[in-house]
Amino acid sequence: MGKRNKTTQIIILVVILVLGGFAVSSAFKKPEAPKEGSTIPDLPLQQLNGSVVKLGDYKGKALVLNFWGSWCEPCEREMPTLQKGSDEWKAKNVEIVGINYGEDPLVVQNYMKKVNVHFTMLLDQKKKVTEAFGIRPLPTTFFVKPDGKVHAIHIGELTQSQLDKYLQEITGQ
Amino acid sequence: MTSLELSQDAYVVAFFLFCISFILFVYAMPGKKMKTHDRARHERRWGRISFTVTAIGFGSQLVYFISRWIGAGHIPVSNMYEFMSFLAMMIIGAFVVMYLIYRSAVLGAFAVPLAVIIMAYASVFPSEVQPLIPQLDSVWLKIHVTLAALGYAFFAVAFVAALLYLLRTVRWDSGSDRRSQRWLEFTMGCIIVVIGFIAVVFSFRAADYEVIVNQKVETVENGQINSKIESVTYTMPPLIAPYNSEESSLEAVPSFIGMKLPLMEAPGWMKGVQAGRKLNTVIWSLLAGLVLYAAIRLILRKPIAKAISPLVQGLDPDLVDEISYRSIAIGFPVFTLGALVFAMIWAQIAWSRFWGWDPKEVWALITWLYYSAYLHLRLSRSWHGAKSSWLAVIGLLIVMFTLVGVNLVISGLHSYSGV
Amino acid sequence: MRFDNTKCECGHQNAIGTVLCEACGKPQHEEPALDEVLEMRYDGVARKSQKANPSIIDRIWNFFSSVKVAVYLIVITLIGSMFGTIYPQESQFINIDASLYYKQSYGTMGHIYYLLGLSHTYESWWFITLLVMIGASLVICSLDRVLPLYRALHKQKVRKHGQFITRQRIVYQGDIQDSPNTWLDGMSKSLKKRGYKIVRDEDALLAEKNRFSRWGPYINHIGLIIFLLAVLARSIPGWHMEYYDAFPQGQPKEIPGTPFYLQNDHFTVEYYGEEDMPEQFVKEGRVIAKLFETKATLYRCVDKCDELAAEPVLEEVMKHDIRVNEPLEYEGLMVYQFDFDLTPRLVAVKPVLENPQTGEVYGQFELKINRTETHYEVGPYTLELTHKFMDFGLDENGKPTTKSQDPNAPAFIFMIKGPGLPNEGEPYMYFPLQKDKVKFQQDVINGEIANKFDLHVQSMNDVTLSESTSYLNVRKDTAMPFIWIGAAISMIGLIMGFYWQHRRIWLRLDGQQLALGAHTNKNWYGLRNEVARALQAVDIEVDAKSIDRGGSKA
Repeated sequence: MGKRNKTTQIIILVVILVLGGFAVSSAFKKPEAPKEGSTIPDLPLQQLNGSVVKLGDYKGKALVLNFWGSWCEPCEREMPTLQKGSDEWKAKNVEIVGINYGEDPLVVQNYMKKVNVHFTMLLDQKKKVTEAFGIRPLPTTFFVKPDGKVHAIHIGELTQSQLDKYLQEITGQ
Repeated sequence: MTSLELSQDAYVVAFFLFCISFILFVYAMPGKKMKTHDRARHERRWGRISFTVTAIGFGSQLVYFISRWIGAGHIPVSNMYEFMSFLAMMIIGAFVVMYLIYRSAVLGAFAVPLAVIIMAYASVFPSEVQPLIPQLDSVWLKIHVTLAALGYAFFAVAFVAALLYLLRTVRWDSGSDRRSQRWLEFTMGCIIVVIGFIAVVFSFRAADYEVIVNQKVETVENGQINSKIESVTYTMPPLIAPYNSEESSLEAVPSFIGMKLPLMEAPGWMKGVQAGRKLNTVIWSLLAGLVLYAAIRLILRKPIAKAISPLVQGLDPDLVDEISYRSIAIGFPVFTLGALVFAMIWAQIAWSRFWGWDPKEVWALITWLYYSAYLHLRLSRSWHGAKSSWLAVIGLLIVMFTLVGVNLVISGLHSYSGV
Repeated sequence: MRFDNTKCECGHQNAIGTVLCEACGKPQHEEPALDEVLEMRYDGVARKSQKANPSIIDRIWNFFSSVKVAVYLIVITLIGSMFGTIYPQESQFINIDASLYYKQSYGTMGHIYYLLGLSHTYESWWFITLLVMIGASLVICSLDRVLPLYRALHKQKVRKHGQFITRQRIVYQGDIQDSPNTWLDGMSKSLKKRGYKIVRDEDALLAEKNRFSRWGPYINHIGLIIFLLAVLARSIPGWHMEYYDAFPQGQPKEIPGTPFYLQNDHFTVEYYGEEDMPEQFVKEGRVIAKLFETKATLYRCVDKCDELAAEPVLEEVMKHDIRVNEPLEYEGLMVYQFDFDLTPRLVAVKPVLENPQTGEVYGQFELKINRTETHYEVGPYTLELTHKFMDFGLDENGKPTTKSQDPNAPAFIFMIKGPGLPNEGEPYMYFPLQKDKVKFQQDVINGEIANKFDLHVQSMNDVTLSESTSYLNVRKDTAMPFIWIGAAISMIGLIMGFYWQHRRIWLRLDGQQLALGAHTNKNWYGLRNEVARALQAVDIEVDAKSIDRGGSKA
């Protein structure tokens, strides 16, 4: 008995505490998709001209990521709103970016002509970014603060007033 | 004669042999009035005879099993009928093992009728040979299901011994042990309800009773509510109609002994598959059980447990206590291997994960945790006799829920073994 | 003060908490007149947790070392598990919004169930805490008991105190006829025949067998601990990966997080014929599947793996027929059959451009439905793709649009340029599927130009179809071997502990007077019979039942 035993006891209890803490903390671990307050991943996306941008390139700007598809009606309805927002807020250090879900560049170009928008569009042909953001229904819009942290996630169609409110919030204006 | 016909005949033969051996085992129980010496001789002699009949019955069950295997082309444990008959066979098997160790004829008088009840219960389910679905097409079907059933069978024999212990030790003289008396009688009542259920199923089946009620079912798919009409086939008069039944189909229900049916609809919160029909069956079983119980009480003019009590007074309570514990001790590793370890291996191969918290898996785990608690209490906390017997009795309740209840009440991945 | 006096009358110094003297077995702190069956758990040795003046560490240790606590933990876990089976768990579904699902499917009760967090019982903090506590209890309970037990069994004294022997559960006392030595020789022989190991100390004897069975529970507990640790190890990043995905026939698909691509070469589903099914089933029109099989090819990506637009360069690694119960297995990667969809999907067509008047064929080109090229040279003509619709339809304004992202009704608009056509070209609309061509009246839409050109496929050889889509489950589980090792060790422990029993028989002759005591951890019935038969061999007739003093202590 004595000292050696006590040390063994303490070591065993500490090991159990550490492993147990690890196990229990894994219960609180949420799925890895970005949520409000988390930092967006720095993933590469293709531009219409074929060059590649990374989401991290937009750091320092307030960022709006709009996930859409050409078959989705609410997406189409909110496109003019986004264009208007882009026109008005561009000078105020805001970037509004559309991310298309897995369609051909041609389809995206035709779509932009059809709905008459010209803000930045990125292609996610392998659907990896959409997956990383855990997108379920389209449209889904992420509002990201200049520091890269997600401020809000809006699922479904955006109205002008909603968009303005979000933009004010993420720019702090 | 094809092997499937042979199989059916063997099943019936086994059933009747067990009925006979049950009577023989009861006769073998030493009466109180006999002299000590005669008693031992009587028990030895008639125990041996009854055991022989049981063993022949077991052989007959084996013939059923093997010939059905040959006839069907796959091991006959793939649906509820086959599994329950196999379980009955395993219970007899477990009893044979325990009898060979302890030579207790009284155990037979209770274990054999349990197997008979389970065989009868098996016959409630459709007995046709069904083709094997790809999910079940694996060697692990043989290993997992058979070992798991053997484990459950030992728990069932433990239940029988524990019940015997309680019947033997609960005192019926004035005022003593009220709570034990009540719970013991309640346990007997539950057994009667199960018998009532089987009786009701067979009576209405003999009368070819069948009524179809249409039910409006709402399902949610992709956030949209779809409603469709489902028809529910009742094989017993519908006292309880399904929730949201169609009026027109209800009016077509014939009245039963002058009663306008159905009496009411199942409550809306019962969302299980065919909940209304199952609730109806439960109520019929309870009614039949109660009627049967009342009839028995009228004949006996005392509680059933009290009536049985003098028959088992010749028994050594320590011995049945030991049998009950031994049975669990033998069954526990078998159960762990069959129902958990091999189940995990198979789940890993078939469903890609060794454990998925499917209701059946969870209930197997619950059963395992329960019996491990039993063993800890017995081995380290000295829970013997009455306490451990009650645990073994409740244990069978959990076993039965795992085997039958889960399939009937909760749906899950194991549902293909259901009704 | 009593607790100071832990020295037995035989001279052995015992630890505090000792019930029976570690050497001679004499009961400590008890009135000698008692005749009850002795408490033999761990041979009466002091357990580590039984100490005077416990500190906080000791208190925590004591808590987890208690079997009572262990049983409580087991029972609470058991009840908690039951709650998780009331409604299906979230994890049983692949794509649901749990906050709505339970309310919609099970009403208010379902919503409460969800709000209580019971819809993910087995991932909840309290359930995992319970499992961790059971793990802690397994470790500490075992350590606390196995060491003293080892010490007690390792150095057993053969000659035990008379009280120790006569207060066992199985006891025989009587006189012997032979000389002590001859009698002991005979008894040794008789016990040896029954598999006992014999140790003699003058006219005392200890017979013992199957001591290893005592280690069964601890080996079982070690197995369970390994099992639990292996389960925990699955949350180490990279050790566990699982997802399920659709694999349309003929298109390699990336397995994320690995360099592998998997292609569904062909999917088959077979059903049982009527002759294989019971009549009842045939009457009900039931269909039962006989086989699901995906012929699959696994590729490794060797180049251009991370580029966004370029096609990766793949190298075949293996082929396997994935069936239920027969997954594909490669370097720890497992692929399982999960589901299927038999809707055929168009992958590519090779139409010809033809003059419908003369029947002259200008040329042929390949048109892929996904990732379509925009520029084609067909004979003297150039085809520029200007519009593509995967699932053609008209919106409320009558404008062409796509109704979904799936190629249910693909449509293409080309600008045809070349001899005899205006410089900017003329538009031509093409529906590769005949049903769409008719439904949307391709020729009417095209009008005038339909007389000059016709795009069509000449035979089915020019059509690439994905006949079906197989849904496969992809998994990687690095911890699996440890899980099986844990389970195997646990089983070995269970079998050792339950199918053998540790039996000991102590004999002591005081002159012609024999005292025999026997102890086992399980199966007293077997032991008393064995003792009775061993005595019979040396001409002492006893009834097995009469030497068993019964009692509640095993």
